Amino acid sequence: MSDFRLFSSDDDEVVRGLRSLYAAPAGDAYWNELEARIMARVSDVELGWWTELERWVRPALVAAAALLLTAGIAMFRAHQDESDMAVETMLTSPSVPVSTAIRPSLDNDRETRIRYLFGCTNQEPSCSAQNSKR
Amino acid sequence: MTAATSMELPYGMTSYTDGRPDEKALVVAAQRGVSEAFAQLVRLHQRRAYAVCRAIVLTHEDAEDAVQEGFLHAFKALDRFLPDQPFGAWLYRIMANASLDLVRRRKVRDADELPEAIPMPFRDPGESDELRRRLNLALTKLTDRQRSVIVLHDVEGFTHGEIGEMLGIPEGTARSDLHHARASLRKILKDVRSDL
Repeated sequence: MSDFRLFSSDDDEVVRGLRSLYAAPAGDAYWNELEARIMARVSDVELGWWTELERWVRPALVAAAALLLTAGIAMFRAHQDESDMAVETMLTSPSVPVSTAIRPSLDNDRETRIRYLFGCTNQEPSCSAQNSKR
Repeated sequence: MTAATSMELPYGMTSYTDGRPDEKALVVAAQRGVSEAFAQLVRLHQRRAYAVCRAIVLTHEDAEDAVQEGFLHAFKALDRFLPDQPFGAWLYRIMANASLDLVRRRKVRDADELPEAIPMPFRDPGESDELRRRLNLALTKLTDRQRSVIVLHDVEGFTHGEIGEMLGIPEGTARSDLHHARASLRKILKDVRSDL
């Protein structure tokens, strides 16, 4: 594995020293015991309720996202239906004719003009006052 | 030529590679929840994993803790591992991370509890000769990373690239750390040789 070594042969002793300092424990008994300890910890994780919970986290998130999307679409559609119905009702309902909203102002305008015209021909005080001003 | 032996795995998987169980098959079986397959992976890699951890942490006990933590992390992350990738490289990276975490935790704890204490990193009751004693001392003068790099390279035989990947540093940095570590050791140990 090692690509090259910079230590010269004089430094072999140092490398040997390092190897003895960092030597892994010898004997299968030690490694069997370590393996048993590792597997015991792994078993604890396997049996823990959080493992089951972890397993369900992703599907739960996907389901929640799908639910939110569906709810969003449903709300959007409901809102759109309401708007459509409101427009439709407004356009088709005969209860309030469109002209009603406009007519009074037109009527008032016309009435004022008629009154003005006819008022002048009648000998009313208001009319005479206006005539005198003119 | 080595005779190939076979190993029966659950789910009808048989695995054999020159007397050693096929690692990829073991990984796939372990991913399917076969704990015996994971135990086999532990058996295959624990010595090397220990060596990686031992190069990074300061004591044998910490190395043991880091190995256990590392295998636990690996087990939890196993479903995210792609079986076509080399399992060893992935595992040793996890081991290195577990060890670096442990070193960080120890530093924080030591800073909180014993601000004036100087850590004695290598406990080796069997050491007797002067060179080993001085070597121990010399290693404490190196930075954590330099020490890890020199041990991983010169003792465990990892390449610069592998070391860089494990420690999360560029290959060039690993190379330069090794160079500086050796220079420091040579300088410190030169005096020892003249004394001996």
